[in-house]
Amino acid sequence: MKKLLSALAVLAVAFFTFSGAHAAATGKRVTVTGEIVDTWCYVTEIMYGLGTAHHQCAVWCAIGGIPVSVLGEDGNVYVVLKVEGDGTNVANPRIINIQTHKVTVDGDLYERDGVKYLIVTQVVDDKGIVNLTHEEYGIQPFGK
Amino acid sequence: MKRTLSILFTAALLIGPGASQAAEEWGIDGEKKTRFEAKVVDVLCELTGDCPADCGSGKRQLGLLRDDGTLVLAVKNFDIFAGAADDLKDFCNKRIIADGLLINNPKIPLFALQFKKLAPDGKWSRANQFGKDWSKANGGKKAGQWFKNDPRIIKAIADKGVFGIPGLKQKK
Repeated sequence: MKKLLSALAVLAVAFFTFSGAHAAATGKRVTVTGEIVDTWCYVTEIMYGLGTAHHQCAVWCAIGGIPVSVLGEDGNVYVVLKVEGDGTNVANPRIINIQTHKVTVDGDLYERDGVKYLIVTQVVDDKGIVNLTHEEYGIQPFGK
Repeated sequence: MKRTLSILFTAALLIGPGASQAAEEWGIDGEKKTRFEAKVVDVLCELTGDCPADCGSGKRQLGLLRDDGTLVLAVKNFDIFAGAADDLKDFCNKRIIADGLLINNPKIPLFALQFKKLAPDGKWSRANQFGKDWSKANGGKKAGQWFKNDPRIIKAIADKGVFGIPGLKQKK
């Protein structure tokens, strides 16, 4: 029996070492407060990417399938992969409906290669759009 | 800024299918033209083990898993205001050669896919599948300004306005 167990252990180690199989990690429970943003425009700064000024473009990009993130009050960008059990994250109507909103979410955080990924288990607070940037920046981009 | 956008927009509209199949610079801080081989993966599956068939059939964000284990988040394709999921969905769990811009931004690293092919000897194609799919789904309309003609966007803006708050107007 001991010999059999040892053999199984060796096989298991070999499988995970050489098969390329990637064991799923466990997320860290977090609460994040921040603005729902378009990841591309905000991170690359190809235009002003926050608040009311950028809302229309953020909707374009979300429906175009660019990942949506929560820009946390801590300055971190949390890429949203799942919202309240819905595992679709490309042009998800639930996310598009709260685009640009200031929200507080509970979720599981996974960090990988410099990116913070967030599995939102619950939107616990939604203050709507409160970042009124259009007064300074107009409509981004194109001005209409 | 407006000038940069105009250049990007014009480039997206004018570059034809005969253009050379090598990444182009877009003038973004931290960008680096990059070509690499990787496996196309569903990011949510890769991280959590929640793995639907076909990587979510275009409804999930897809990443590029390099041989050293680095997961590259593909957020953008060649179509204006569009992501890369449509370009990568048909390569779910397959190896491709990706060509594009790696954006080494201190906030988070991103990848803009410009061309792709099945590794090692597939045929290169421009990463503009979103536009092709959109056109097909919208009665053959040209996708150049898809964002102004998409019924979901038209409804969203009609409901809440360009600023996302019903009734809010721009000061003159």
